[in-house]
Amino acid sequence: MSFTEKSAWISFVLILIFFGTYFARVAGVIFAGASGRGLTSLFFVLVGGFVVLEAVLHAVLAIRSPREAQAGRDERERLIAMRATRVAFPVLLVGAFASVGTLHLSVDRWEMAHATLLAIVVAELVRFGAQIVYFRRDA
Amino acid sequence: MGTLPITNQIRRLRFDQDEMTQQELADRIGVTRQTVNAIELGKYSPSLEVAFRIAAVFQVPLERVFQFSETPK
Repeated sequence: MSFTEKSAWISFVLILIFFGTYFARVAGVIFAGASGRGLTSLFFVLVGGFVVLEAVLHAVLAIRSPREAQAGRDERERLIAMRATRVAFPVLLVGAFASVGTLHLSVDRWEMAHATLLAIVVAELVRFGAQIVYFRRDA
Repeated sequence: MGTLPITNQIRRLRFDQDEMTQQELADRIGVTRQTVNAIELGKYSPSLEVAFRIAAVFQVPLERVFQFSETPK
């Protein structure tokens, strides 16, 4: 597995775990009709944890494969990245329009903001997931 | 990415060159070992630059390395 593919796996799994955890709590709050203010600290803890773990795991990866880390992406990896972005961008667009569409529903600002965040998270999962699929298909 | 209409003799040429490994070839042409593997398996068509670099490593004409088939396999 190349450095770039390992990096994609790290990001995919961490986004799934950290933001999956957060949105599971968000869904609980919404369906319970409760206030979302209590999730503010959880949000910052999870985002902070996500950023730290991303940095640490990528640093470990780079230390274990310094040559690959410094070499950067080759032409195939750049192509895979572009194709994955092409797949993920429509997902982001649909999510963005859907979150704007919540204006016409009886949702508050907190829920609308989370709809927007969810669109970004799902698009990123699709982007990294698509990269992984393309890497695996070529292996 | 599927099987492409371009076949290649990279694996044979590597073995003929003192059993050059995929990693050694990758290092010489500036791509990852996984990309070399994808090229050998016909799952990725390299750019012209990379194709010429591969031919230059083996010191053979480009047509000795890559062959185009009208009928995709």
